[in-house]
Amino acid sequence: MEYVLSQLINGICQGMIYALMAIGYSVIAGVTGMVSFCYGDLMTMGAFAAFYMFEFAGSNIVLGVISSFIACWLLGIIIYKLCYEKFLNAPRHITMICTFAFGIGMRNLAQILFGEARKPVLNVVGNRAIILGKSIRITMLQITIIVTVIILAILLSWFLNKTKWGLSLRAISQDKTASYVVGINAKRYSLIGSCLGSSLGGVAGLLLAVYYQTVYVTMGNALSMKSFSATVLGGLTDVPLSALGGLCIGVIENLGITLTDSSFRDLFTFSFLMLILLIRPQGFASKKGARP
Amino acid sequence: MKEKFALKDFVKKHSSIAILLAIVIVAVLPLIFKTSQTRILCRILMYVTLAGSLNLINGYSGQTCLGQAGFFAVGAYTTAILITRFHISFWPLLLLSGIMAALIGVLIALPILRMKGIYLSMVTLGASEIIRTIALNWQSVTGGAFGIKNITRPQIFGLTIDTPQKFAWLFLIVACIFLFVSKRVLSSRIGRAWMAIREGELAAASLGVEVAKYKILNFAYGAFWAGIAGSIYAPYLRYIDSSAFTLDEGFNILSMIVIGGQGTLAGPIVGAVVVNLLTEALRAISNWRYVVYAGLLIFMMWKRPRGLVGENSQVTMVTGEKSIKKNRRKGAVK
Amino acid sequence: MSEVLRTDHLSIQFGGLKAVNDVSFQVNEGETFGIIGPNGAGKTTLFNMCSGIYKPTSGDVYLCGEKITGMHPENICNKGLCRTFQSSQLFAFMSVLENVKVGCHIGTRTGFKDAIMRNKRYKQDEEFAYEKSLEIIEKVGLKKYIDTKAGNLSYGIQRKVEIARALATDPKILLLDEPAAGMNPNETADLMDFVNLLHLEHQTVLLIEHDMKFVMNSCKRILVLNFGQKICEGTPEEVRNNKDVQEAYFGSGMVTKGVC
Repeated sequence: MEYVLSQLINGICQGMIYALMAIGYSVIAGVTGMVSFCYGDLMTMGAFAAFYMFEFAGSNIVLGVISSFIACWLLGIIIYKLCYEKFLNAPRHITMICTFAFGIGMRNLAQILFGEARKPVLNVVGNRAIILGKSIRITMLQITIIVTVIILAILLSWFLNKTKWGLSLRAISQDKTASYVVGINAKRYSLIGSCLGSSLGGVAGLLLAVYYQTVYVTMGNALSMKSFSATVLGGLTDVPLSALGGLCIGVIENLGITLTDSSFRDLFTFSFLMLILLIRPQGFASKKGARP
Repeated sequence: MKEKFALKDFVKKHSSIAILLAIVIVAVLPLIFKTSQTRILCRILMYVTLAGSLNLINGYSGQTCLGQAGFFAVGAYTTAILITRFHISFWPLLLLSGIMAALIGVLIALPILRMKGIYLSMVTLGASEIIRTIALNWQSVTGGAFGIKNITRPQIFGLTIDTPQKFAWLFLIVACIFLFVSKRVLSSRIGRAWMAIREGELAAASLGVEVAKYKILNFAYGAFWAGIAGSIYAPYLRYIDSSAFTLDEGFNILSMIVIGGQGTLAGPIVGAVVVNLLTEALRAISNWRYVVYAGLLIFMMWKRPRGLVGENSQVTMVTGEKSIKKNRRKGAVK
Repeated sequence: MSEVLRTDHLSIQFGGLKAVNDVSFQVNEGETFGIIGPNGAGKTTLFNMCSGIYKPTSGDVYLCGEKITGMHPENICNKGLCRTFQSSQLFAFMSVLENVKVGCHIGTRTGFKDAIMRNKRYKQDEEFAYEKSLEIIEKVGLKKYIDTKAGNLSYGIQRKVEIARALATDPKILLLDEPAAGMNPNETADLMDFVNLLHLEHQTVLLIEHDMKFVMNSCKRILVLNFGQKICEGTPEEVRNNKDVQEAYFGSGMVTKGVC
């Protein structure tokens, strides 16, 4: 029982990171109407940006977040320009191939530049733990991660709901043509949305690296699919529900591996994704409104 | 320039002779080539079948399937397991692998009948990953991470197919059968029904095309040939493990048909040749090859999104497609 | 004259909105029947229910006396009801001939084995499909576009291809959803002649149209819908003089003032 409880805490913590991934992914999916297959690699890049920041300026989580945010924002511009802008109205498989190719390119370039070896990310946050029971404990690390995600989520929701940019972003994720008509530069805001989503992904990558205390080039491999699953669970374009979806996936994964061994971790995600799509393609969302 | 046109005319006029000539030339190639070159030829010919089978799903019935690597894996594992455990002869297994893959195809097609677009792609992708994860973790049957070793080579009339040369011929024969059969199916009522589903499901249904039945048939047929390709792949390498059937492999196959041109029979052939030769050529720059490959892939999408063989008439251009797709989306029911 | 299509107190509700409410009508064999009504009156919804795209909330649809309520579109087509769409739903990347050949789908039986062996059945089917498509294309007057990709044709011609395609299914009743929408006056006149020709060939036609001249000239009986309700049914003359219809189209103020 205690094992399950501690797994639940791990699940919530990991779920928080997945929630951040899912938020970023749903912003991208919303504004561009396409999916991204380079999202996992983007997260790796975010983690590496933070890693080098830690090397350079010492382990400070705030600095790390800022550096991965900026790095992925820049990458987001490149991705948008290369993979999305020209193909917003083209058949969907073209964007799929482009983002996938970009992901391969980025991963292999990273391998050349950063090397294949795993790099340790240690002592970013103190290792103190709060002990709640015999074997149940919450570490400072986990608390830090949860707090970071919550802060970012609040900032994003303020941005989307209260600012003019946010309003425009929401408008274009509903209908691009209509946005043009009311004077929103859909291309520009798609760019901003795609960058914003990428940046949030980057921060999620950083948090994963801190959580697992290591960073390596192939860490993002299965993560595109996981973010996608979480996003689908939330209805693909709905930001808060996607976050909830991410949380669910994290918990399910960690509870799932209490039943079997951890090599089946991905199996749970995929089976879960398929199950959702079969039973309720619109996810938690009440309306079948998702475009892609 | 003039010669080029003459060749084109010749091909058009005597298409059967031209095709026969091409087959003969390819059949002679293994005799001239060095072993390493023959291996490349084998890969190309295998991908002609494999990419072609995906093209039947993606290009003809318009269901963007990303899980072809999964069907490929089913075929390869079926043959590998049965041949090493029960020492069954290869030839019935060839058919059986295809049928197994087709069954899995039906199994995947059933739930996605009502899905569209990206959801459909993701379920196929997920299914392919599930197949791979099972292959990776079901130690007792699939050998887990160690894979299956020492797969017996097929024999025919007392002759063992063991060299890449002989495998090249086997791959060639299968590819030819595949293209021949597919050409016939596509030019019949079945092929037209698939294309009608691609162009507009609702319109197809209201013309009496049983959409569900034909989608399932389409998946089964596409998966069947992927299974056959896998079935030969296993004894060709004599060793398989799950790392050969990752998502990257799925995308590799997809990139072939997109580069070649979806919805044409020649497209996947061109795609298979171009992509495989390119990966071979890029081997020289070792580490950088995937970076360059990725760059070329994106460049290709920018320059010829319809593929090398894809027609560039007005409807098929991206700009023209815009309006058509839009109309289609808006007027879904209205 | 026997009935071909009959609806019996047909209603459908979307959320709180009764899009079609208690509509009954009957189309007889060989008749050209028109449905008119202001925008949003539920005409296309009515079509969608007849052709199986929507399932009615209550009421039934009968085709030649057989109940077809809630069947799938493909089965309804098999029974002999074929429709066109308001916004063109052509197979844009297929040639005109291929488009019409798809219409021959239900008349043919080729299976995998037949297609691969190219046996007698395949040959018969292909010949049948080709001959029939050619005949229909000629009848519609699209001979010169036969090998053109449908997506490249002008809007007016696309509509014709769509009608040709529907005719290839040998329907007992043909449902045309605003066939003249987007056509220029010449094309509309052509289409009118064509619908009259179909009438001469005893093809039963049910059509929705906004072009009053078109409807008044080619339909023998007309049903008028407003806000999902049937307000009038009768000959063109009766409909023209019906007060409710005038009100629906021009508003009550205009009618009482006697402007119309």
